[in-house]
Amino acid sequence: MGMTAVEKVLALKSGVKSVRAGEVVEPDPDFIMIHDGVVMGAKRELDALGIDRLAAPDKVLMVTDHDVIYGSARAAERGAFNREAARQWGVKNFFDVGRGGHGHVFPMETGMLLPGMFYFDNDRHATNAGAIGAFGFRMGSEISRVLATGTNWVMVPKSVRLRIKGRLRPGVHARDLGFHIATLVAQGKLDIDLDYRVLEFAGDLDQFNLAARTALCSSPTEMRAYGVFVPPSAEILAYAQAHATRPFTPVYADADARYEADAELDVSRLEPQIALPGGVHKAVDLSEVAGTAVSHAFIGSCGSGMYDDLLTAATMLKGRRIAPGVRLFIAPGSEVSTRRMAREGLLQIFIEAGALMLPAGCGPCNDAVIGPVHSGEVSISTAANNNSGRFGARDAQLYLGSPATVTASAIAGRITDPRTFATG
Amino acid sequence: MSAFEWKLKGRCYRLGHDVPHAGGVIPNRLIVGRHFDARDLVPHLFAETDPGFHERCKPGDIIVTGRNFGMGPKMNGYIAMQALGLGLVCESMPFLAYRAAVGCGLRVMTDCVNATEICETGDELEIDFRNGFFINHTRDIRREYPPLPDSLMEIIELGGNTGWLRKWHADRMAATDATPAQDRD
Repeated sequence: MGMTAVEKVLALKSGVKSVRAGEVVEPDPDFIMIHDGVVMGAKRELDALGIDRLAAPDKVLMVTDHDVIYGSARAAERGAFNREAARQWGVKNFFDVGRGGHGHVFPMETGMLLPGMFYFDNDRHATNAGAIGAFGFRMGSEISRVLATGTNWVMVPKSVRLRIKGRLRPGVHARDLGFHIATLVAQGKLDIDLDYRVLEFAGDLDQFNLAARTALCSSPTEMRAYGVFVPPSAEILAYAQAHATRPFTPVYADADARYEADAELDVSRLEPQIALPGGVHKAVDLSEVAGTAVSHAFIGSCGSGMYDDLLTAATMLKGRRIAPGVRLFIAPGSEVSTRRMAREGLLQIFIEAGALMLPAGCGPCNDAVIGPVHSGEVSISTAANNNSGRFGARDAQLYLGSPATVTASAIAGRITDPRTFATG
Repeated sequence: MSAFEWKLKGRCYRLGHDVPHAGGVIPNRLIVGRHFDARDLVPHLFAETDPGFHERCKPGDIIVTGRNFGMGPKMNGYIAMQALGLGLVCESMPFLAYRAAVGCGLRVMTDCVNATEICETGDELEIDFRNGFFINHTRDIRREYPPLPDSLMEIIELGGNTGWLRKWHADRMAATDATPAQDRD
């Protein structure tokens, strides 16, 4: 019996021939990521135990993406603490303010995270690694054990497979598909359980570029998937090869791998989706809520912060302005994207359209450290999720859409089908 | 390590299905407020559904729950259970909730099918978390459930993640001290 993709990667990194779902292993990661919000807790925990050296400081990526512009004295204090922690720990790969961007975006873009890799992360959105054919596992506060010892125990997750059939229509985005999948799972219309599972995509995947694959990873994560895996296409392998900072070997599931569930989804008739306030799994066809007035909009986050997402928005905004009474925040996923946007004129388009540029990172999608919503406001965004209070007042109405839908809605001042603009 | 008691004998405290961690186990404000000190958490265990629980329970008592217990990868409630000397037996729990419970050093078993159908609150239970033996003395019922994986037992014996790291560090220091001086860098 063959292995699924996650079983193969974990076997490889654990130095054994094969593993099965349910086994406990201690894989040797390619790197270890920790973000700015949790360095202080981990450092203090390890200091209290007298552990002042990391097992593998060269493997550690410290990223400042959650609170990039310090909006408070407390945030500035944390930034200073993190810099001192990096110095004491000897972490050279410290992507501080203005140096890297979103930790779940820029390592893929810059060839640090490559097909077949495995890494530990404190944050659950490490699932984005699946976009390039790799795995990142969330450790939460147990990242301190990984920092100290170099690894941690992992129970090999079960895998479920979803075969995509057909092509998305023009104007329909992979993010729409993600909301749709989450909704079908929540409603029991796709017979798969995502809790601590790896969702392996299969089928007609060549239509999805790296940004689209990243978008596909987002909503299953909010449904408690522990990993998402999109087998790398020739296009993805070529991208990885062109940017690779080290050698890599892509991994694919065996043909006779065993899945807990195997489902198929025809996407060829999917309409643009809107996730209603309360969760990514509450998606409806956009037409059901078209016309809803909005005052807050945001494009970015781990699900929609790649260059292609920003290009989609800029293309629609060119020569247009966002509606009066709407504030639109743009948070690129990486500094690389910000520089490219400057070179290629996208920044000019956003600024002339009246959008607000934020530094690369999580943007408002992190405890509202920047650009929050006020009580009673209506927002449409590409945030990772729209749970109550995700970025501001708990009684604000947070809608989610694709980058194209958010852009169209910001231009119109109300929830709008992006194909309105595409068709003139 | 031999002093660790894997077998608990006490009263059953039965809960239903889908009890969330926030609110169902411990008030959300303590989770959001990042309270991890057992002294702060113990008085609030099950406070929203059963005020005073922490005063009535005794070390060795067993919480038996239905499916999908403790949704959310948070540790706060398990810290309180561990501090009170309780055990936890679940029909199922989300994996990251289970991981959080293990990380707190709580004696826990999951995938105990239909466990809530063979006990009532107040029954005298005896659970051996090392081998999965479940005995309801009140009703003379015995079951054998999946025990903890061997590799996780050490974490629980050492009181959770922090205790595990403390021992790991002490062992490493001892090994370093034992290394002849000329072999050191």
